[in-house]
Amino acid sequence: MDAILQIVITGLTLGSMYALGSVGLALTYGTMGMFNMAHGVFMTFGAYASYTAATLWGVPLPFAILLGVMAGGFIGASMHLFIVRFMLHREDFQTTIMVATAGVAILFQDLILKQFGAYPFKQPAQIEGLYRIGNTVVTYQSLAIMATAAVLISAMAWLLTKTRFGLAIRATAMNQDAAKLMGVKTELTYLQVMIIAGTLAAAAGILISSLASLSPAMGTNPLIRAFVICVVAGLGSVTGAGLAAIALGVMEAAIGYYFGVRYGFPVMLGLVILVLIFKPAGLFGKQGVVRA
Amino acid sequence: MSRLTDLQKNLLILVAVLSAIAMLPLFVTQRYFLGEIVLFMIWASVAVQWNVLLGHAGVFSLGQMLFFAIGAYAVGMMGVFLDMSPWMSMPIGAVIAAVAALVIGLACLRLETAYVALLTFAIVFMVSSLISTDAECFLTEGGLCTPLFGGGNGFSGFDDLGFRKMLKGKWILGNYFVVLAVLAVSLCASILVIHGRLGLAFRSLGDSRIYAAARGINRTQFHIIAFVITAFFTGLTGAVYAAHFRFAGPSLFEFSNLVFILAMIVVGGLKTTWGPVLGAALMMVVVEIAKGWGDVQNTLIGIILILFVLLLPKGIAGTGANLLRKVTSKS
Repeated sequence: MDAILQIVITGLTLGSMYALGSVGLALTYGTMGMFNMAHGVFMTFGAYASYTAATLWGVPLPFAILLGVMAGGFIGASMHLFIVRFMLHREDFQTTIMVATAGVAILFQDLILKQFGAYPFKQPAQIEGLYRIGNTVVTYQSLAIMATAAVLISAMAWLLTKTRFGLAIRATAMNQDAAKLMGVKTELTYLQVMIIAGTLAAAAGILISSLASLSPAMGTNPLIRAFVICVVAGLGSVTGAGLAAIALGVMEAAIGYYFGVRYGFPVMLGLVILVLIFKPAGLFGKQGVVRA
Repeated sequence: MSRLTDLQKNLLILVAVLSAIAMLPLFVTQRYFLGEIVLFMIWASVAVQWNVLLGHAGVFSLGQMLFFAIGAYAVGMMGVFLDMSPWMSMPIGAVIAAVAALVIGLACLRLETAYVALLTFAIVFMVSSLISTDAECFLTEGGLCTPLFGGGNGFSGFDDLGFRKMLKGKWILGNYFVVLAVLAVSLCASILVIHGRLGLAFRSLGDSRIYAAARGINRTQFHIIAFVITAFFTGLTGAVYAAHFRFAGPSLFEFSNLVFILAMIVVGGLKTTWGPVLGAALMMVVVEIAKGWGDVQNTLIGIILILFVLLLPKGIAGTGANLLRKVTSKS
C-alpha cells in the first residue's frame, strides 16, 4: 500500500511536469501544424533565466521565477517573429519548420553551454520540508510542483475555452481560412500561441530543474517525453496531452519502482508504439493513418 | 547529352565525381587532410541516403543515426567479443541495420509525417540512453569491464581493416579507398533509387497522393522499402566508420551529429540528387575553417541551418538548377 501511494505521488509529480511541458507543444501543433524541436530549449532557457535573475542579479525569488517564465514567452515570440512567420505559407511547412527549429535548438543549447558551462547549477526555487502520510513521504517541493502545474494548466484551459482570445485560437486551429474570413487576425493568433507555449515551457523548465539541476542539455529529456505524450494523445489534442502526461508519469513511476529507473522510458515508448498500431491517430486524435 | 536518360547522365556524373575523389591522394598527402576527406565521404554517404528518404521518399525519419550506430556497433561488438575482422562484420552490420529498419518501419511508417519524425527521434533517444546507462559487465578482461553494448565508453581498439600491417605508414590510403568504395556503392544505389522506378513511385506519391493510390501505389509499402534500403547503406557507412576510427560509442547518437548532417542536406539541397554531397563538402570546409575561431561548431551549424531554411530553402544545388532552367528557357 505504501509503495502504491509513493508511486502515485512520484507519478503525479512527474506527470504534472510532463503535462506542463507537453500542452504548449500540443497547442502549437494544433493551431499551426508546427512541431517545435526547440521546445526543449525553451525549457532550458526559462530555467537558466530564473537562475540568473535569482542567483547572479539578486532578484527576489518570486520575481526571478516570473522573469524566467517571461523569458520563455519572449523567446517564443522572437522565434515566431524572426523565423516561423516567414515560413508559415510554404507548402512543406510541416517538415521544414522542424528542420529550422532543430537549428534553433542546437544554436541555443550551444550558446547556453558557452555562457554557463556544463556545471550542474542548483535552481534556487527550492522549498524545504516534507509531509508524511503513514510511511509515505511527500515533499513540499512536489506539492508545489503539482500546484503550480495545476494552476498554470487551468489558467490556460480557461483562456482557451472561456475568452474571446481563446475562441480565436480554437477557430484558427479548426480552420485557418474560415477564421480569417470571420475577422480573426491569424498572424496575431500564431504569435500569441507561440508566447503561451514558450511561457509554459519555461515554467516546466523551472520546475524540472528544481528537482534535478540545471544543465544545457536538460531540455532534451522532457522534450522527448513531451513528443511521446503528444503522439500518444493524438497530435494537437491539448486536453489529451494533459491527461496522457499524468497517465504516463504515473506509469513511468510504477515501472521505475518495480523494474528500475532505466526501463521507465523504454517500456513507456514500447507501449505507446503498441497503442499507435491499433489507434494510429493517438488516443484523442481524429486522423492519423494516411490511407494511400 | 539530351539523348541520355536522367539515370545515365547521373551515373556518368557519378563516375566523374568518384574518379576525382580517387585522384585526390595524389595531391593531398598529409594524413590529417586525408582523414578529413575520409570523414567527408562518410558523412556524404549518410547525407545522401537520408536525402533519398527525406527529400524523395517523403519519410521524415530522424532515426538515421540509429542505423549508422547499428552498423558501427556491429563492427565494434563483433571485433571486441568475437575477434572478427571488419571485412566480415561490415556487411553483417548493414544487414542488421536493414532488419531493424524493417521492424521500426512496420511499426511506425503507417502514421503521418510528424508522428514518424517524433517516434523515430524517441526510439533513437531510448536506445542511446539504454546503452549509456548499462553498467552490467558482459565481459571482464584484466579488471576492465565491458557491458554488452559498451556502456558509456563504447568500443574501441578492435581490429581494423588490416592496412596498418600491410601498408605501414600509408595505412590511411587503404582505408581511404575502402571508404570511397562504400561511398560509391551508396551513391550508386541512391541514383538508381531516385531515377529508377522507385523514384517514379515517390514522385507520383509526392505529386498527388490520392491519384497515385488510385493507380495502385501503396504508400506505406514504398515508404518501408525506402526506409530499409537507406538503412542498409547507412548501416554500411556506420560500419566502415567504426572500421576506420576503430570506435563505436554512444557519442554517435548525439543531437549535434544529427543536425550536422541535416545541415549538409539543407545547404546542398533537399530533393536534389547531388546536393547532399555538395553540402557535405561545404559543411566540412566551413567546420574546418571555424576550428580556427575556437569551439563554435554547433553555434555555426545552427545559424547556417536556420539561414538556409529561411533564405535558400532549396539549397545551393536546387537554387542553381532553378537559375539554370530560367537562363536556358529564356535563350
